[in-house]
Amino acid sequence: MFEGGKSRFERVVRAFSTELYRYAYWLCRDRFVAEDLVQETFARAWQAWEKLQDENAVKAWLYSILRNEHARLFERKRLDRDDEQDLGEIPDTVSSNPHASLEIREAIHSLPQSYREPLLLQVLGGFSCSEIAGLMGISEGAVMTRLSRARLAFRQLPGWDVMTRKKAS
Amino acid sequence: MNCMELRRSLLVNPRLRDGDLQTHLAECAACSAFARQMESLESRIEEAARVPVPEALDERVLLRQSMRRPARFAMLALAASITLAVGLGILVVHERGPGGGEIVSGVALGSEHPAVAAISYVLDNEPQLLEEGRRGDPAVMRGAFARLGLNLPANGVTVRYLGKCPVVPSGTGEHVVLDTPVGRVTLILVPEQPFTSPVVVADRDKTAVARAVRTGGYILIADSLKNARQIEKMLM
Repeated sequence: MFEGGKSRFERVVRAFSTELYRYAYWLCRDRFVAEDLVQETFARAWQAWEKLQDENAVKAWLYSILRNEHARLFERKRLDRDDEQDLGEIPDTVSSNPHASLEIREAIHSLPQSYREPLLLQVLGGFSCSEIAGLMGISEGAVMTRLSRARLAFRQLPGWDVMTRKKAS
Repeated sequence: MNCMELRRSLLVNPRLRDGDLQTHLAECAACSAFARQMESLESRIEEAARVPVPEALDERVLLRQSMRRPARFAMLALAASITLAVGLGILVVHERGPGGGEIVSGVALGSEHPAVAAISYVLDNEPQLLEEGRRGDPAVMRGAFARLGLNLPANGVTVRYLGKCPVVPSGTGEHVVLDTPVGRVTLILVPEQPFTSPVVVADRDKTAVARAVRTGGYILIADSLKNARQIEKMLM
């Protein structure tokens, strides 16, 4: 099926599908659309696989494709969404404190997209400010400002210090 | 590094621990507490951002890629043919006779005819879609049935799959798979793009009926014409 690049492509799918899905979810906040975005991302990646020069850049490349696919999707049609319902739909299977986790999700959700995206690229993708700047097409300084403001927004949450103490203990 | 610089750095990256920063933290209790708080908050954000991922997502991605080339061909053919049918009124084959009608072969109509392309789309894509078990919005499906003036069969009929049909232009098509007493049938509902004339076509062991209703049309794919007719009676 994938001829020469099959095993390499498979490895990349297995390595990055999870984090790409999470990133996609926070971009569109719809589980089904998020999976479609991941599928389309890998479809496009496979089509251009031979053009990939630097294998070390594959992760940033995939994120970049996904961002573009998301933008294309939302250019084509605006998805009607019930945001609160979406957050409620996320089963909390990993959190040690589901209530606090929901509050944080709501806070992530309520961030402006321009703050949320660099934050998620850093937290989920592990990208540096310079890499985020490259992905988003903005300056590194702008990324740093947005990351700071995003985290300052969390500090405005009622009881955020209590939440962090619980986590630390 | 002073306190302000340290706090600015940690707001950008709470995991940062370079030499200057470490030195300052060792000497400043207030900043040390701030750093612990920020790190704890960061763990909370990470935890919350890691939403559950659908099981076997990577397997589905790989499976979809392995099926994509033939499937995409059929999808493109169906999209193109529906567009042509709508834009140029290309459906010219008429049914003949009450309840029976003349069945046209897929070869005679060509692979780009909507009914023929629909059969290919179903055969090439449906197994994968059924395996994924995705379910669309039942309210949207009921709305599509209503707009076309069709009854959603109830007795002994189960909706096996429900989703958007990606090949219908403008994303208005619904793809419905029904398990019925006469076997499995597929309905592609096209509520806003009418076909000009009904047609029955047999191709690759399937029979497809394409019919205009109200403001749009549907393509029904079944194992035989007899089964297709029975389902159509239930729809009307």
